[in-house]
Amino acid sequence: MPQLLPQPSGPAGDAEAGAVFAALADPTRRHLVAVLGAGGGATATGLAAELPISRQAVAKHLATLGRAGLVTQSRRGRESLFQLDPRPLADAAEWLTTVGAEWDSRLSDLQRLLDAKRP
Amino acid sequence: MTLPRSERGPTAERVSRSVELDAAPGEVWDALTEDALLAEWLADEVEIEAEPGGEIVCRYAGGEERRGEVELVEEAERLAWSWRRDGCAPSRVELILDAVAERTRLTVIETASVRAAGPLLLAGTWSAPLARLRAAVRLVLA
Repeated sequence: MPQLLPQPSGPAGDAEAGAVFAALADPTRRHLVAVLGAGGGATATGLAAELPISRQAVAKHLATLGRAGLVTQSRRGRESLFQLDPRPLADAAEWLTTVGAEWDSRLSDLQRLLDAKRP
Repeated sequence: MTLPRSERGPTAERVSRSVELDAAPGEVWDALTEDALLAEWLADEVEIEAEPGGEIVCRYAGGEERRGEVELVEEAERLAWSWRRDGCAPSRVELILDAVAERTRLTVIETASVRAAGPLLLAGTWSAPLARLRAAVRLVLA
């Protein structure tokens, strides 16, 4: 079977632009993330059995999630085991929270500066 | 460059804020482009060459430094720069000024770079410097 996903040791450059949010924009992929998150890991065949789509379609969605760094792939016997890696989501959430708080603070300081300069 | 998976930044993340300031766009523009005024709100010490390709350097009380490059300068209308925290992925800041009667609506958009070459944040890097910055600014304006 061809390798669907970059391996964890692969180059950083294989994460695609906007990959995390783009990957989660699709309802089927959100469902896959939920299933993988609840079950700890699954094969493409096992996932296809739970969803009204083909194993091939599941594999395609898993590849997209893999490029976003949200799913990792390891061998189990003759099949690949897919697992959820939530770290990219946590990174994205932390960035949004921290950078948002920085600007809230800076803009309130700017507001105070301009108020102080008024006659 | 090879990074462990945990250090890959997520991509195309975007933060946006908007605030209405009781000052004309020209006054706000000064506060965005003059070192001494920037030091009252953006960082403890700021050096900016407000022209495309110019350098921006922000220094914080905790010893942190953020460097970047000015990308866009449209006087009293738009200013943009890219900067990066040490060891982190770069991000782009765009500031947009809109005149609203005698006041100015300032919108800021910060976007993480598309192909992140490092972690977006180093844990805990900014909370302490920011708290000190806020305290310092309160003293200055008191």
